[in-house]
Amino acid sequence: NPIYDSKSPNASNLKISRMDKTCGSVLGGDEIFLLCDKVQKDDIEIRFYEEDEDGCWEAFGDFSPTDVHKQYAIVFKTPAYHSTEIERPVTVFLQLRRKKAGDSSDPKQFTYIPQVQDKEEVLRKKQK
Amino acid sequence: TPIYDKKATTTSQLKISALNQYRGSCTGRTEIYMLCDKVQKDDIEIIFRRGSWKANGEFAQTDVHRQIAIVFKTPPYQDQDINEEVKVNMILRRISDQMESEPVTFTYLPHNRDPYDVKRK
Repeated sequence: NPIYDSKSPNASNLKISRMDKTCGSVLGGDEIFLLCDKVQKDDIEIRFYEEDEDGCWEAFGDFSPTDVHKQYAIVFKTPAYHSTEIERPVTVFLQLRRKKAGDSSDPKQFTYIPQVQDKEEVLRKKQK
Repeated sequence: TPIYDKKATTTSQLKISALNQYRGSCTGRTEIYMLCDKVQKDDIEIIFRRGSWKANGEFAQTDVHRQIAIVFKTPPYQDQDINEEVKVNMILRRISDQMESEPVTFTYLPHNRDPYDVKRK
């Protein structure tokens, strides 16, 4: 087992403590406040992913180093899901990941909500 | 002028950097994520203020995250029957020396616009 210096941000474990939202639009772009253990603003990414039999999907939360607040919070925007045509909510995972070392936090769930469609549009699609 | 040790959380200046939302119902209980400069979890309060009205944001010490964020619930506004938005000031205040941050504007929204106009009759 590796021995970590718990005072160094490079080596400490990554952890997501709290998020203000755990669901959002399938189109992405929802702003999320994420509270976490110590991170370095230029060496952290937020990875959304899904793994199933068909393969895996990943996309990254959108933020700049200035959106990392005092090493313990990140304000970011959600990425769009790979398909915006979903009819039911889809739950995926997100995790913190260090770019250089590649190590990651335990995942948290995030649910993508379908776009609100008017009834006519739904009917039109069903007729196709 | 007093000399502050900027790194000491007991005397440092207080600052609200960002909120995840700046509006909420006049009934209160809106959960807010606040990012701030260093605070001590047992020596900080969040005050809502307008004129002579004053109320505290509600949180436990465990809702203070690493001294730089607080997750709290808004207090109810004094008047639950407002028909228009009401802007109030929100500030961080250190309990021990009563030092205050610059205010941030929070907007209370009407709870129930009376759909049948009963109250005007």
